[in-house]
Amino acid sequence: MRKRGHLLRHLAMVLVCALMLVPFYWVAKTAVTNENIYAYPPRILPLDPHLYNFVDVWYLIPFARYFANSVIVSLIAVAGNILFNAAAGYALTKNFAGKRAVVLLFLSCMLIPFQATIIPAYLVSARLGVLNSYLGLALPLLSTIVCIFIFKAAFEAIPTSLQQAARIDGLGELRILFRIMLPLAKPAIATNVILSFIWSWNAFLWPLIITRDVTMQTLPLGLARFLAYVEDTTGALYAFVCMVLLPGIVVFLMAQKEFIRGLTSGATKG
Amino acid sequence: MNWRAILTSRFFVVPSALVAALIGWNLYVAAHAHGQVSGKVLRADGAPAAGATVVLYERNLTSHFLEKSRTITDAAGAFRFDDNRSHQIRLDTIGPNGRQGQPLILRLWFAAQDIRLRDALVLPAPKG
Repeated sequence: MRKRGHLLRHLAMVLVCALMLVPFYWVAKTAVTNENIYAYPPRILPLDPHLYNFVDVWYLIPFARYFANSVIVSLIAVAGNILFNAAAGYALTKNFAGKRAVVLLFLSCMLIPFQATIIPAYLVSARLGVLNSYLGLALPLLSTIVCIFIFKAAFEAIPTSLQQAARIDGLGELRILFRIMLPLAKPAIATNVILSFIWSWNAFLWPLIITRDVTMQTLPLGLARFLAYVEDTTGALYAFVCMVLLPGIVVFLMAQKEFIRGLTSGATKG
Repeated sequence: MNWRAILTSRFFVVPSALVAALIGWNLYVAAHAHGQVSGKVLRADGAPAAGATVVLYERNLTSHFLEKSRTITDAAGAFRFDDNRSHQIRLDTIGPNGRQGQPLILRLWFAAQDIRLRDALVLPAPKG
């Protein structure tokens, strides 16, 4: 009876997974054919599948350049996220005057959409002289409040006796953070890596505003450009979508175990 | 530092496998991308079409196919281009009598891929 219950539960989960994967399947299926997505009745299996649409995408626009730009920007964003968020998260585990106000400020800032801050962000970037540069593209994502709290939760789950022992051994706060706390917060690091990578990889509005040069554009901007030029080739467009999505999916699949652990660490504390 | 653990972790294995595949593919492309397109043109009766014109068009982003070059078939009906730089080409054939054959669109795996047509291009039969 219990086994049957397990089986039914798994069957339900498989069905839900299959339903959620249908859009991805449809994108992949259209990418390997040249079918019209509005064709009725829709064809479930691809007819004469081929990979030439991916070749078209590679050569019709400077895909390699966009890809390299996206990788560089994402790496800067990931590095900045780990460094700044870990430092901020560690600071928030300490008691200091005005800590409550800082936490409240962070939480209230989370309510403001990025679109509302885009003009100040642009002006700050211009003043810093980082418009149309990789650093400028990554700047708004160098630190994110959600990830600061993920680090804070992970650090709070580490026994304070470890920090005290390190302090007795003569370690300063920075060395405690990088030598003791960060190696024990690997799930939080993985969560930061995945979230910051995906956010910077998919960013569209900020790169659209800050880049002036076609050679500095990232993949989402390339997708928009591609759509503007070759609007009749549905297959190539969907192949482009697959090529944009793939790196994010690979990074997520590699670190999904740590990602889930990072999101849930500290969740059960009272 | 535990090098064995690092080298066998998926964070090292997966990117390394991807980089290895990328290098392998690029080496293959470098060895097979000379822009050579060759084939044969036949008349409607199956005989080699000597003196037929073959036109090579290349695909680009904005204007689809643009003429790249043209050549004349030899006595055996064979032709060859050495200057294709595109990943998608069109071959048009024009017989000595001016009649045009069915255009052939070829999609290649990479730009300037060397290709030898398996099936010959066929010119239409003269009128009358």
